[in-house]
Order: sequence, then structure tokens, then C-alpha cells
Amino acid sequence: MDPLQQELLKLICTTCNLHDVDLDSIGPDDPLIGPDSPLGTDSLDALEIAVTVQKEYGVRMDSENTSRVVLQSVARLADYIKKNR
Amino acid sequence: MPDFSHSQSAHCESGVAANLLTHQGINISEAMAFGIGGGLFFGYLPFIRINGLPLVTYRAAAGHILQQIAAIPGVRMVQKKFRNRDEAMAELDRALAASIPVGLQTGVYWLPYFPKALRFHFNAHNLVVYGKEGDEYLISDPVFPKPVRCQADDLVRARFASGALAPKGKMYYLAQVPEKLERRHLIVRGIQAVSKMMLGSPFPLIGVRGIRFLAKRLGKWPQRLGQERADLHLGHVVRMQEEIGTGGGGFRFMYAAFLQESAAVMQEHRLQDCASSMTAAGDTWREFAAMAARICKDRARSDDSYAAMVASIHRCAAMEEKVFAELQKWTKQHS
Repeated sequence: MDPLQQELLKLICTTCNLHDVDLDSIGPDDPLIGPDSPLGTDSLDALEIAVTVQKEYGVRMDSENTSRVVLQSVARLADYIKKNR
Repeated sequence: MPDFSHSQSAHCESGVAANLLTHQGINISEAMAFGIGGGLFFGYLPFIRINGLPLVTYRAAAGHILQQIAAIPGVRMVQKKFRNRDEAMAELDRALAASIPVGLQTGVYWLPYFPKALRFHFNAHNLVVYGKEGDEYLISDPVFPKPVRCQADDLVRARFASGALAPKGKMYYLAQVPEKLERRHLIVRGIQAVSKMMLGSPFPLIGVRGIRFLAKRLGKWPQRLGQERADLHLGHVVRMQEEIGTGGGGFRFMYAAFLQESAAVMQEHRLQDCASSMTAAGDTWREFAAMAARICKDRARSDDSYAAMVASIHRCAAMEEKVFAELQKWTKQHS
């Protein structure tokens, strides 16, 4: 994982109060949200992540770049931030 | 393989409308289809219950956008419903044999290409069938990144799902489109209709009045329903606002994209300003939703509360009241 991906993963865990996650076990392409996510996050968590990312990085997830698409993985999220901030 | 250009979209109905028009040579974005189709709405209808929870909707009724697209001068949309399943599938096959991509209304629960976690009983999901190979239909489902396939038996079940908004085999396709879409008139007409509904509805549950009504009711939920059920109601409002199909902020971001595109078409900076204001309203809706999510997830911050959420929704109402008043003024000068 690159530094931004690691930073994002930590931010997501802080935002969603995920204290017991072994960050080293999460891959950059693992699903971030949904039943297949190793984080166990759901759509309400996704919403909080979207708002936090917008506050921290000034990047909005909107109708063309929905959180459903951008939050597919930490790699996807990092790429989106790099392209749009 | 039949030729159909698939584009992923946030909302199925506006996505299908845009994809069908684009296939006919009328290049149109999802946001534009949503806007000229008068897709934006607000309604809080507590007498209609979904799984025991009051209906809150941020968009027009299912089918409204397609109706508006079908009513565009020069567009002819063929729409059919069926009682007989065999007849419905035979009619679909006939259209496909003539290389006509066909829109279908379906029940999500019966579409096996949806991940199990996302299958729910919603019977107004739109998709386009653009071909058939053996017993498999080739489908452009606008909420998926790539085209998908579906067995005939499954598609029949989805077309004839029972319950609320039962599709009854509904299929539709564009039989004729104008050479060029006269967007200016359609933009004005679309904005006019939505502004009127948001500001001038005689019903207190609709439009800006409805947003304020929701705020008032929501503030009383903990006392009236108890904390657990209040949080359940809250989660429901947030899901209707932010989950699949809305594009976030209860379709407000999508409407902002429509206004921005319209500003370029109309060469009108006032629409650009309204687009920015609508984006700000979407952000405020999302801030409310994030606070609600924290409360539902039991990780509320010190300043998160039902009273703070009420204030947040009132801010959304005030912002939308202002932007739609400006849009209404603008349409009066252009109609």
C-alpha cells in the first residue's frame, strides 16, 4: 500500500470506530464496503466516510462519481483523491 | 454481438432514458435526462409505509422521468404491459430480432446478477435488454459498470414480480426520435415543473413544506417512538437519501449536475450559480445524514443530537427554497 492508501485506511478505521482491525491484513483492492469487506462496514459507514473524505481532502463524491463506485477499494479511493484534489 | 453502448449511472430510470436516447444518436447525460424528466422531488408521506417505516422520497414517482421523455415532441416511445408471460417474452424477442434495445421494468430481487446483499423487493428497477444468445439475455443494467447476462427464466420472474409497483411485464422502446433534441425548451420546462412542485404544492408533505414537516416530525421521534424506533426511522430516512440510485444528497448532486450542464447549453450564469447552491444543499443533506448515521451506529459526537438534525434539515429547506425561487424567476423570464 502506498502512503496515501495507508493514511486513508487509518482514517476510515477512526471514522467508523474500528479498533480491532489488523491494518496489515487489508489489501489495497479489498472491498471497502459491504458483506465482502474485511472491515465489516455498511452503507451508513460509507456515508460517513464520504463526508469525512470531503472534509479532509476537499473531494466530493457526487452523482457522477458515486460513493458506491469510489469506495470499491482503498486503491480506488486513493486514485480518486489524487485525480480530483 | 448486438451493438449497444452501455454507460453506468447513479439512478436506473434516468440512466436507461439516457442510454436509450444515446443509442438513437441523441447524446444526453444521465443528469440531463433526470433534469428534463423533472426527476427531483421531495415528499414525506408517513401514511405510506415501507416495512413499517414512513415513506420519504427525494425523487419523482417511478416512471415519471420516462413519461416526460416520451412526451418530448418528436419522440415516440412504445410501451406495453402484459398479462401473459409467454406473450411478454415473445414480444421482447421480436423487438430484439429487429435489433431494437428494449427497456424493462423489473423486480430487483429476482435478478441473479445482483449480489445477494443488494437484492431487495423493489419492483421498479429499469434496465435495457439489447440482445439474446441462446437462453441468455444481454442486459445493460445502468447501475452496473459493465453489461451483464440473465437467464430467460430469471428475467421472466423479474418482469412479473408481484407486490407494490408490480411491473406486469412492462417493456418500452424508442420507435422514433427527433433529428436533434431542442434542449433549451426542455430545460426550461423541466425546471419549471420541479420549481412549482418544490415551492407551490398545496400539500404540506410535498416540496419545501414537506422538508420542514419532516424536520418537525423527526424532532419528536425520540419522545413519540422511543430511542430504538426513532433510530430505526432515522436510518430509513438516510438510506432513502443516500443509498443506491440517488447519486448522494437525495438526488441534489444529480440535479446540480443538470443545472451546470444547462448553464452551458443556455449560456446562463444564473443557472451556474443555482448549480453551486444546489450542490451546497446536497452537502447539507449529506451532513445531516452523516450525523444520523453516527447516531444510528451509536458513535454520536458531543454535538450530534435530534435537535441538531432538525436544525440541519431546516437549513436544507431554506437553501432549497432560495434556489427554487431563483429558478422559478428564471423560468418566468424564459417561457
